[in-house]
Amino acid sequence: MKLIYKPIYWTYYVASGVWYWARRRLTLAGFAAAAGLVVSGAVGADIENTVSYQAFLLLFGMLFFAFVSSFFFRAKFTAIRHLPRVGTAGHSLRYRVEVRNLTKHNQPGLTLLDDLADPRPTFQDWLGFQLAEGRRVRPFRVAQRRRTNPFRQANLGASPIPTLTPSGVGEVRMELLPLRRGVLRFKGVTVARPDVLGLFRSFFKIPAPQTVLILPKRYPLPPIALPGSPRYQEGGVALAANVGASEEFVALRDYRHGDPLRHIHWRSWAKIGKPIVKEYEDEFFVRHALVLDTFDEEPNSEVLEEAVSIAASFACTIITQESLLDLLFVGNQTYCFTAGRGLGHADQMLEVLASVKHCPDKKFETLEHLVLGHLSVVSGCICVLQRWDAARQKFVEKLKRIGVPLLVLIVAPPGHRISLAGSPLPDASTTFHVLEIGKIEEGLRKL
Amino acid sequence: MKTPPFLLLAALVFWGWMSGFLLVGALMGLLLESARFISARWELDDPDFSRVWFFCVLLNLALVLYVFTMNDETGGIAGMFHGNIMRNVSDSSVQTSTRFLRWLPMSLFALMAAQTFNLRPSVPMASISLITRWRQRRHKGGQDFAGQYADISYPYFMVCLFSSGIHSNRGDFHYFAGLVPLILWALVANRSKRYGLGAWICAITLGVGLAIIGSLGVNQVQRAIQHIDAQLMARFLRQRSDPLQTMTSMGRIGGLKLSAKIVIWLQPRELAQVPEYLREASYRIYKPDKMTWFSGDKLTDFKPLQPEPDEKTWVLLPGKMNNPAAVNISCYLNGWSHEDNMPEGLLPLPGGVRRLENVPPYMVMKRNQNGAVLAAGRGLVIFDAIYAGGATMDSPPNITSTNRLDLDVPTNEVPALEQVIAEMHLDAGADETQKLRAVSRFFSSKFSYSLWQGWDKVASTNATPLTKFLLTSRKGHCEYFASATVLLLRQLGIPARYAIGYAVHEAHGSEYVVRERDAHAWCLAWDEKAKNWVDFDTTPASWVSMENHFSAVGLWFSDARSWIGFQISKFRWRQAHLQQYILWSLLPVMVVLLYHIIFRRRTQRKRPAGKAGLDADVIWPGLDSEFYQIESRLAACGVLREPGEALADWLERALSEPSVAELRPVLQQLLRLHYRYRFDPHGLSEAERKSLGDQARQALNQLSPK
Repeated sequence: MKLIYKPIYWTYYVASGVWYWARRRLTLAGFAAAAGLVVSGAVGADIENTVSYQAFLLLFGMLFFAFVSSFFFRAKFTAIRHLPRVGTAGHSLRYRVEVRNLTKHNQPGLTLLDDLADPRPTFQDWLGFQLAEGRRVRPFRVAQRRRTNPFRQANLGASPIPTLTPSGVGEVRMELLPLRRGVLRFKGVTVARPDVLGLFRSFFKIPAPQTVLILPKRYPLPPIALPGSPRYQEGGVALAANVGASEEFVALRDYRHGDPLRHIHWRSWAKIGKPIVKEYEDEFFVRHALVLDTFDEEPNSEVLEEAVSIAASFACTIITQESLLDLLFVGNQTYCFTAGRGLGHADQMLEVLASVKHCPDKKFETLEHLVLGHLSVVSGCICVLQRWDAARQKFVEKLKRIGVPLLVLIVAPPGHRISLAGSPLPDASTTFHVLEIGKIEEGLRKL
Repeated sequence: MKTPPFLLLAALVFWGWMSGFLLVGALMGLLLESARFISARWELDDPDFSRVWFFCVLLNLALVLYVFTMNDETGGIAGMFHGNIMRNVSDSSVQTSTRFLRWLPMSLFALMAAQTFNLRPSVPMASISLITRWRQRRHKGGQDFAGQYADISYPYFMVCLFSSGIHSNRGDFHYFAGLVPLILWALVANRSKRYGLGAWICAITLGVGLAIIGSLGVNQVQRAIQHIDAQLMARFLRQRSDPLQTMTSMGRIGGLKLSAKIVIWLQPRELAQVPEYLREASYRIYKPDKMTWFSGDKLTDFKPLQPEPDEKTWVLLPGKMNNPAAVNISCYLNGWSHEDNMPEGLLPLPGGVRRLENVPPYMVMKRNQNGAVLAAGRGLVIFDAIYAGGATMDSPPNITSTNRLDLDVPTNEVPALEQVIAEMHLDAGADETQKLRAVSRFFSSKFSYSLWQGWDKVASTNATPLTKFLLTSRKGHCEYFASATVLLLRQLGIPARYAIGYAVHEAHGSEYVVRERDAHAWCLAWDEKAKNWVDFDTTPASWVSMENHFSAVGLWFSDARSWIGFQISKFRWRQAHLQQYILWSLLPVMVVLLYHIIFRRRTQRKRPAGKAGLDADVIWPGLDSEFYQIESRLAACGVLREPGEALADWLERALSEPSVAELRPVLQQLLRLHYRYRFDPHGLSEAERKSLGDQARQALNQLSPK
């Protein structure tokens, strides 16, 4: 298998490298000239029936001159990039870059390009993707959408730099479209100068390594009554900012790390000389487990990305309500993050989700053990599953038997039908939803 | 990005000049540039652009088909069935693609014009990509392409420049000279402000200089390649009857491959009158070492023939005819004339042919003294051959001169011939008729027809294949019989020639067909009394049945294939009258499309002068409603309407003011009328409109500060 795919991988590797180089080095006019060069070269080979070879030679002469002149760019710059802390996949990320001219001449007509780390995958990752695509898309199916470049992290554009006076500073507004969640690494900044003919760019590269965390895409969720959440609690208690505890005073006790400051009984502290807090009677609080299925052989699979997006949507919606949320998933090890009620914030949960990776080497049972271990403290479970196979059915059935209210969301590839027949049937405490990629927002609105 | 003013006009004029469509190019350019002065615009949406694109694609397909069938050179669809397939396909593809590419600016003009005269001067990407549209339809997604628009001015400009270069290289630099200013024009419009004009001109000079040096180099290379002689390659591709020589298969071991492919169709004017043989050429000199017959003259000895004034009739042999017969012949010209640059081949003609009628126009014909007619023109020729017995086109035998070609016998064949003659027991004073009879009898009684020559029989002696045939094996195919007969007759003192062509024997309904396996060789013997050449065939009649052992199913398939090829060829070489209907048949489709594009929505709109934006010219109904005055009045009283607040909400808030509360029913009635005036597609009746105005004025009076 490797023998077949290795040359294809290297072809892809080289071709995408050349394409990246051409996109940065050639201006729009340069691209047109290069395209004309290729076409006139192909047609002009027949020098008896066409005179396109003359166009080929003219374009070649111009591009050659432009290429040679790109070696004569003597200028120095420094640059500082001002990045936000996080961005969101699918939403434009705007930031600014300050460029300082270190020469004693005016520098007009320059362009700024940002350099991202090489997104080309390793052979193993690439092979995993190709095999998964081969399974998903049947051969000779034009209408079936093939993902063109799943490894590209962001779409970057070039921005013009205002004319830089000698030793002057110019501010450039940049815009970037993150395509995937995760850490986006910047290597540096490139100041580009077009040649006299405006076809080819010469570069001055400034190292400026930085990172920005791209959070997963989120969907708007309707107000939902989560499993295990008593309805009468909605609104009232939460609005009083006393989530999860009643106004009933029970006793005083020593301060423990994490106790809210407003519960400190100042008088007792003054009397005793150590912090004492008021203890209220625990009324109840709702604690949900958000179970994320990460078991996939393919890195960056569409299904996993959508599952993470759905989890992120829940994470940032539920925390504003009156409950705790435990995010449970399996990566290199088993993870459990709790957010809500002062323990963590939605941002932190999203940051965790931004970094979730696929788990190709563990079994689904690992997640099952993790969830079952947490069941004693959770009042309901939201399961975001990538498929509906025997292992997952067994897992859901187990949870049902224990009596945990469940909301099961199954992410399905586009056009893929998932039959729930024969599986644990929905009842009052269990809801199943199949969310098809491309119609996920629509599906979530129906929750 | 839009092109600078008049660049497209210049590019189209240049294209017209280079392609021979100067007027068309200028008109197209003027039409596109007129958009700068005309304010009227269409409002085409994405489906409209899809239709325009579909129209362009259809037009391109029609052009390809038309160009393919209009080619006078070899190839086309017929070329894929007959002759030198590889070369035909290659030549035809080149010719078609050349013309297609040359006409691209014309065939894509509709799309460019649609963009130019559209309210939004750009083309939706999804409309020109079939796959994208398909995917969008299937997945209702297509987010990647939906909403992407592109200005195709510069791509169209590039297409014009590219198409201008699609013409044969005449060794001049007109194209280059036109290309340089046009490209510079396009570049100067987007010149970087970093450089002055001087630097730009220097750079351009250097770039163009490099190109000129390169051009000179290319011309040198071209000459060198031409010197190598591309015709050398063409020789390897030759596959047809050669008028100057024919190599026989005598001496070849094994069987001959026979094809049932139909190569000639004959339609005799009267059913019974069908020629027995169709002769392509005759030869005079036999070289036993090469087993080849030579005509004895050169290609330059072919004398050009002139058609009659009607351009359809060619007289091959003038003079009166007794009992003339006519046959309609359809045959392929499978060779290639490098001199005339068109298909060429020997015409299969009945013996005694005098005149060819209804010959397609623009043919070039030559004939040599051996009666071969070399025709050049279309790949398929259909004509009527008028023939009669008696005189033929062949020159009489030159037996008086020292060069007695028609009586010449190779010396190494003489002993065998003498032995055979002795075996024939001819009387010493036998005349020509008796000799012919004796020869005929000799072959029919002692020889048999065979397509197979065994290895051992040939290799066992040093005798020539012909000697072997005459003395030992006494079986062979027509070439053996014909060659042996010619030499035998010559040895007997009768001038003879070796003829090749086809035997006609297979009736096919009202017509006759000649298959490739009907190719035949026979002898032409000189009739001293009649002073003409007569066909003299000694090949046993069994050869026809022996070659007909092709299976019925196989024959059916082969005939169907031949028939399809023939019909396509007729169409391809304009021998059928279908061709003229191609464009006409496409015309209704195109008219329907155009109707859909232009009249379907009837949304021609005027672009207002001096106003930017798509919505600038839209006058929304109800903007003159008097209710707005009430709103202003109440706002003046302190009940301001928040941005985005609906009128109904605002009014409800306003009515909570005690001073306005008494007007509640009136104002609510007014609001209802106002809403209807603004948003009801049917609007207000005249009475209602009047009522709105009156009530509003009353309310204003009541609201006016006292």
